[in-house]
Amino acid sequence: MGVGILGAGPVTQAIHLPSLARLGDILTVRHIMDVDPAVAESVAARVGATHSTSIDALLGDPDVEIVAICSPHQFHAEQVIAACRAGKKAVLCEKPFAMNAEEAALISAVSAETGVPIIVGAMHTFDPGWLAASENWDDLPETAHTIRSSIVLPPNARFEDFATEIITRPAGGAPDYTDAEVIKGALRGGVMGLAIHDLPLIRRFTPDFKDVEVLEARHVRPFGYVISLRTPTRTIELRAAMNNTWKPEWSFEAFSDDAALRIDFTPSYVQAGSAVATFTRGSRTTVHGPFEHNGYEGEWRELAALAAGKQPPAAQTLIDDLTFALDIADATVANVESQHAVAEGAHA
Amino acid sequence: MSAAVTFQQYTVHAAPEAQEAGAVALAVASLPESFGPAASVNQADVQVISGQPGWTVRAAEAVATGARGVVVVNPAAENTDSLQAAAQQSGAAVVLDQRWASNPAVPGAEDAVRSMVGRAALLDTVATAQVGTDSGELFADHLAAVVRLAGPLANLRHLRRGPHGYTTTGVLANGAPVAIQGVVSNARPAALDFRLLTDDGGVSVTLPEPLAAWPATVKVTGPQGELLLPTIYESAHRATWRRLKEHLDAGSSSSDLHRFAALTESITALS
Repeated sequence: MGVGILGAGPVTQAIHLPSLARLGDILTVRHIMDVDPAVAESVAARVGATHSTSIDALLGDPDVEIVAICSPHQFHAEQVIAACRAGKKAVLCEKPFAMNAEEAALISAVSAETGVPIIVGAMHTFDPGWLAASENWDDLPETAHTIRSSIVLPPNARFEDFATEIITRPAGGAPDYTDAEVIKGALRGGVMGLAIHDLPLIRRFTPDFKDVEVLEARHVRPFGYVISLRTPTRTIELRAAMNNTWKPEWSFEAFSDDAALRIDFTPSYVQAGSAVATFTRGSRTTVHGPFEHNGYEGEWRELAALAAGKQPPAAQTLIDDLTFALDIADATVANVESQHAVAEGAHA
Repeated sequence: MSAAVTFQQYTVHAAPEAQEAGAVALAVASLPESFGPAASVNQADVQVISGQPGWTVRAAEAVATGARGVVVVNPAAENTDSLQAAAQQSGAAVVLDQRWASNPAVPGAEDAVRSMVGRAALLDTVATAQVGTDSGELFADHLAAVVRLAGPLANLRHLRRGPHGYTTTGVLANGAPVAIQGVVSNARPAALDFRLLTDDGGVSVTLPEPLAAWPATVKVTGPQGELLLPTIYESAHRATWRRLKEHLDAGSSSSDLHRFAALTESITALS
């Protein structure tokens, strides 16, 4: 089945192309589009694909049956809709697939109208370790009272360079941490760009997710967050630090009175196999994994199955995942604003 | 021909409620040359009391009746001023047997943490304990260990407290965020997890319950790799008794009460 990719930045180069290279028996990259013609040509040449700088060219390419949208966030919604209208067999959109609930609803409607299935690149939901956990967690999603997501990551470049040879990286900046707007932007980016990987997992354990509130949100330098959330029945703690360490740690945990699940994910970019899911129930511990592929490869396997006619996931799931993330991002920024107002008041 | 090593043995009496909580019989049996049972409370060199509220009064009474050493098991937050004065006057050593802060790995971990805390980016710590544990007691045990490892914390504030645990916020001296979480669940053995992150590494510490001689793990991570500090297969209880023995032999006083006073102040301010 032929694949076309919109956007040829580091994620395409270091994640999707290596994942697709492992799936040559079912998927072939046919077309790479990027607004930078040199990047499009170079990346396409790696896989013997056609290249272009135009979305229309890619969507009009009859060899492209599955479309992956890896462009900047603000273009996701219109490109997903265009891919559906172009009559493709399946669409993968990198997270977040929309920037607000209205866009999400529109995408859902177009998907239903055209019959083109869409999945969002929340790779952990496709990780065999997570899937194995879901088959063995009994009533834990209903009984859990405490949930944690903890992420410590080296700079992306460390793992990109283990995965491929990158051309063109976005330029880094030197943020002014004394500027409240910078902090708010960093925290919103942290929720929508990093926490969002695990928010669908957290939501699975949070039946009252629509009532989430932020108790406190803080920035971790140079990039990260400490966010404490609460719903009427759940305590949710989010931690993240992206720094210059070599040691990645990425875990999801859920606790009830009698059982706990911990999932240790492998870092993004590298083909380091799946997460490992560990259940503890008092003195009894059961471990699932590791399996030999990660969630990114899982996404592509799922896309191939959808394109071949498998029943797609409920659109409401994608909308709920997105609105959950947006609610947390908005409440995080509001919390920081109120902290700032209190601090300003104290100085006045 | 070798000369026998001689030890001074100190006699011990434990209050019934302290006996089990402090696993006193086991700890004393593991230091048989140093400690032995007393015929009666009045003849004991060392008295062991429970740390339930009012413990400072009971400890001061033990000192007044001639105890040379006092072990307090799981002390609750309480003003220690008068006890400190009484201990100083009599020359008695008062040591605190704390769930996690007394673990023998703590001094080594403290050195590692203190060498990095000035450039910390985040301190994230989680204590887990069995269902039925009082959240306030868990928090006191938790904070005692965290402050021992990292030093004083500023702006401490509970974000939430309840039967399933707590979340408490604070900052380190350099302004880095501190997140202190308690989780009440039977799913895992009770333990304390402490992670200090810097820009290029950090220190992670896992302290077990003193029910057995499970070793703590202390890992120091830096650009060159990760170092696991030597594992110590000794419970917090036994380590407390070894410290007491050293104070009794040397005639020195313990700094436990002084340190505990600062902890009590923090907890009182939070409440």
